[in-house]
Amino acid sequence: MKKLLVIGVLVGSLFAQEAVLPLELDAWKALSYVGAAKSVDELSTATLKVAKASYVGLISTPKMKYVIRPMNEGGTVSYGGMFEVQINESGIYRVVLGNASWIDMTKDGKPAQSIAHSEGPKNSGIRKMVDYKLESGMYVLQLSAGADNSSAILVMKIK
Amino acid sequence: MKQLIKTVLLLFFLMEGLYAETIKNSDTIEKARVKLGHRLFYEADLSINGTMACATCHEQRRGFCDGNRVHPGALDDNGKRNVPTLANVGKFKNLTWSHDHLSGLAEQSLAPIKGTDPVEMGMNGHEDEIAKRLGQNECYQKLFAAAFPQEKGVVNLGTLTQALESFEKTLISENSIYDQAKKKHKKLPTKDARDGEKLFFGAAKCNNCHTAPLFSDDAFHQIQPKNLKVYNGMRDNGLFDVTGNEKDKNVFRTPSLRNVALSLPYWHDGSATTLQDAIKKHKLKTNNKLSAVELRKIIAFLNTLSDESFINNPQFGKPSLECK
Repeated sequence: MKKLLVIGVLVGSLFAQEAVLPLELDAWKALSYVGAAKSVDELSTATLKVAKASYVGLISTPKMKYVIRPMNEGGTVSYGGMFEVQINESGIYRVVLGNASWIDMTKDGKPAQSIAHSEGPKNSGIRKMVDYKLESGMYVLQLSAGADNSSAILVMKIK
Repeated sequence: MKQLIKTVLLLFFLMEGLYAETIKNSDTIEKARVKLGHRLFYEADLSINGTMACATCHEQRRGFCDGNRVHPGALDDNGKRNVPTLANVGKFKNLTWSHDHLSGLAEQSLAPIKGTDPVEMGMNGHEDEIAKRLGQNECYQKLFAAAFPQEKGVVNLGTLTQALESFEKTLISENSIYDQAKKKHKKLPTKDARDGEKLFFGAAKCNNCHTAPLFSDDAFHQIQPKNLKVYNGMRDNGLFDVTGNEKDKNVFRTPSLRNVALSLPYWHDGSATTLQDAIKKHKLKTNNKLSAVELRKIIAFLNTLSDESFINNPQFGKPSLECK
């Protein structure tokens, strides 16, 4: 029986569809863990680096004290978190996310307006991609109204 | 005789006072329901995993529509239809893209909350969880008590959906550039918009179905071929899905054009990405002959239906954190 199961898994894996990621999403494959900040005080330990994908732990929404009130706050049973992101060069940036959390990219207490939304390639584990036109400076990336207590995330410059 | 007249007059004044008091009380209750409904509209705890509120799909800045073709549900189930506007929704008899016998907005709101075709907020079978979540919240305890004194402030789907209905009925959009011009008996500001208005109400016959002032006749029409492609794995037969009558296949209610420039994409399945696409999708004899210039002019007119005061009205926006 066990042998049959092993054979089944092997055969299944042969036919399993692997995502074909475009070159610019190559960084998505290598994740390092980052815990989210639940308040401004914790932001310095929750840093995302541009072009480096992270696996982030998120926090129960009632514990969150966001820098600015998220557009979509999420209910008591949802998850969120905050991260600092240093943008060194002005341009178009894409936030690539493994779950459907609401994203607010904020600077000096104001949210940046998103300019495009898209989905990730099939079977890539990418749930959504949101683009922003950003000036250089320190940003606070807020995730809110997430269904899970973790997600993968990548901030990358696309133009 | 005098005594009888005195008694009748006294009774009359007493009744009048009682009537005035009843009206005042019902006004107070209705205001409390609007306030509660407003907060509930933005409440993500109405969804199974706390990720979706009504406002997640009905965004004020987009005229209470959504920028997606269709919006996935809280559990990532595929959406079925493009999010319709809620502008003036209280004035419609037929609600949603294709339903002809919903008793009102309270009943309609059950579809996103606990519907299964498609699953949106995912609360089917978890209705008690809503009462549990909201019942623990002091603000909601206070608001439900004020809005439903006879029901002793009970939190359940009945009271909750009544409050949502009260709030949604206040979503009135009647101050667009077009409305302002009409009220002041003035012309629309640009020549294109004025020419577009003439076409809309004249040769192009748009007004036949998109009838002013709602810019919808609140009626059902079939304006596409019967055998449409299945999008997202969701077969959509329109009104047929409710009535089961063959003649209702692919029949949809005319959408309102209020704030239409803010609410792309269009069509019941969101398949028209621009206003131009949406106009061209009408497989009707009347608009097959529209030239590019005429299309541009009609779109210029449609742009005058955007209502800045509606999309920026704080009474419809996210409620304050403070419970008031």
